[in-house]
Amino acid sequence: MKKKKMSFGFAAPAFVIYTVLLVIPILMAFYFSLNKWNGFNEMTFIGLNNYLNVFKDSRLGNAVGNTAVISIVVVLVVNVLGLGLAMLVNKASAKSNIFRTVFFIPFVLSTVAISFVWKSILSYNGVLNSMLTALGQSGLVGNWLGKQGPAIVCIILVEIWRTLGYHMMLYLAALQTVPQELYEACTVDGGNRWDKFRNVTLPLIIPGMSVSILMSIINELRMYDVVKIMTDGGPGYDTETVVYNIVSQGFSNNMVGYSSAISVVLFLVIGAISIFIVTKMSGKEVEA
Amino acid sequence: MKSMHKEKRRANIVQNVILILLGIVVVLPIYIAVVNTFKQSDLILNDPLSIPIPPILDNIISVLKNPNANLMQMYGNSIILMVAGTAITIVVASMAAYYLARVSTRFSKSLRIYFLIGIMVPYVIVYLPLCILLRNMNIPFGVPILIFVFVSGNISFASFMYTNYIHSLPIELEEAASIDGASQFQIFWQILFPLIRPCTVTIAIFVGLGIWNDFQTPLLMGQVKTITVGIYTAVGPFSANWGVVFAYVFFAAVPVIVAYLCAQKNFINGLTAGALKG
Repeated sequence: MKKKKMSFGFAAPAFVIYTVLLVIPILMAFYFSLNKWNGFNEMTFIGLNNYLNVFKDSRLGNAVGNTAVISIVVVLVVNVLGLGLAMLVNKASAKSNIFRTVFFIPFVLSTVAISFVWKSILSYNGVLNSMLTALGQSGLVGNWLGKQGPAIVCIILVEIWRTLGYHMMLYLAALQTVPQELYEACTVDGGNRWDKFRNVTLPLIIPGMSVSILMSIINELRMYDVVKIMTDGGPGYDTETVVYNIVSQGFSNNMVGYSSAISVVLFLVIGAISIFIVTKMSGKEVEA
Repeated sequence: MKSMHKEKRRANIVQNVILILLGIVVVLPIYIAVVNTFKQSDLILNDPLSIPIPPILDNIISVLKNPNANLMQMYGNSIILMVAGTAITIVVASMAAYYLARVSTRFSKSLRIYFLIGIMVPYVIVYLPLCILLRNMNIPFGVPILIFVFVSGNISFASFMYTNYIHSLPIELEEAASIDGASQFQIFWQILFPLIRPCTVTIAIFVGLGIWNDFQTPLLMGQVKTITVGIYTAVGPFSANWGVVFAYVFFAAVPVIVAYLCAQKNFINGLTAGALKG
C-alpha cells in the first residue's frame, strides 16, 4: 500500500495564529522586561534592573501579599469543602442531581455579573447593610469593601462561592473512579467510615486531587476580574492582586518594561508550581 | 442493628441540612439579583428579599433605553466573538490535532510540546506586547482581530484535547478510505470530523463560554463593547443604582443560565474536562 505523507498544511493555520498572537507577544514580553520603556519613546536596555526592582517594590509586595493570602485560603477551603461536598452528592439520586446543578451555577456565570451582584450586597450603601439596619442591628453595619482587611475577606468569600461547585465536580469525577469493591473489602475487614476514607478514598483520588489543587492555585494567582469590579484595587492600592498590579503598571502608568518583568516572574512562578505539583503527585498515584 | 439504622438516619438528616444550607448560600445572591431587577430602588434596600408583585419593569426599560450603552450592539459583539472564535478554534485545532495524532516524526512531536506551552501561560503577560504588536502592524482594535486573539488563546487546550481523542480512534477507517482514493482533506472532514463530535461539543462549550464571559481581553484590547465590558462601562465604578446594575446582570446572565439548564451535562463535562484531561 502506498502511504501518502500527511502534510504540515493541516497544522499550519493553528501554527500561524498561535505563533503570531501568543508566542511572539510572550517573547516580546521577555525582551521588554530587559528594557526601560514607556511604549512610545526610545527603549533603553537596562539588563536585569527591572527584575531587581520587582523585589524592592513595596506596592507590588502588598499585591503579592494579598494574592498569597487569597490563594492560600481559597485553595484550602475549596479543596476541603469541595471534597466534602462531592462525597455528600456522590449518589445517584434526583436530590444529589439538583444539588450538583445548583452548586455549579456560579461557575458558569461571568465574573463581571457575579462581582456586580456581590458588590451590590457588600457595598457600604448596599443590600447587606440596609438589611442589618432594618433588623435593628445598625451596630453591625460595616464598610466591608472600603477597608483592606474586610475587603480581602469579601474577595475570598466571593472566590470560594464562585469556584466551590467546580472543585466539587472535579472531586466527584475522581470519586467515581474508585471501585465499589474496595469499600466492601474494607467493610469485611472491619473498617469504619474513617478507615474507608483514609485507606481507600484518599489514595485513589490523589490524581484528581492534584488536578483540583493545581487548578485552584492557577485560578487564584491569575485573579483580576473580581478585584477590578468590587474594589478596583482600592482603597489606595490595598486590595491589589499581582495581575491587577501588572495591568495597572503596564496600561495606566505606561511602564511597559517593568510590568513585563513582573508578568515574566508570574509566568515562571505558575510554571514552576505546575511542574512541581504534576511531578510530585504523579509519583504518588495509586493504580485502582 | 436498630441503633445503627437510627444512626444512619441521623447522619442523613445532618447531611441534608448541610447541603440545604450551602444551597441557600449559593442561590441567595442570584435570588437577590433576580427579584430586585424587578423592584424600585428604594424597595431594593428596604426589602431586598421580597418577591416583587407586580414586577416593575423600570430597571429593564432604563437599561434598554440607555443611550450610552447599546445592549443590542453588546449582544451582537459577544455573539459574533463567541460563534466565530469557537468555530475557528474548532476548525484549526482539530486539523492541527489530526496532523499531531497521525504523524509521528520528531517535528510533529516538538510541535505538540510547542502547542502545549500555552496552557501554562498567565494571559496577562500577552496583552501589552500584543497591543504594541498590533499597533506596529497597523491592525485596528476591534471585533475582527479579537476573534483571532481568542482563537490563539484556545489553540493549546483545543488541540491537546483533540489530539488525545484522535489518538484513541482506530486508524483503519482512514486507511480504507485512503485506498478508495479519498484525499486527506476528504478523509478528515468526511470521516474523522464526524467521529470526534463528542470532543467538539466539549471544546465548543469550554471555548464558547470562556469567550462569552471573558472580561479582561476585550477590556484591555481596545475596550471592545462585549456584554461584559459594556456592562462594566455602563455601570461605572461608582454607581449605586442597584436596580439598574441588577438589570444589566440579568441581561448578561440569563442566556448563560438558560443554556446551562438546557444542557447541564455538557456544560459540566465541558468545563471540567480541560482540567481532568490536562
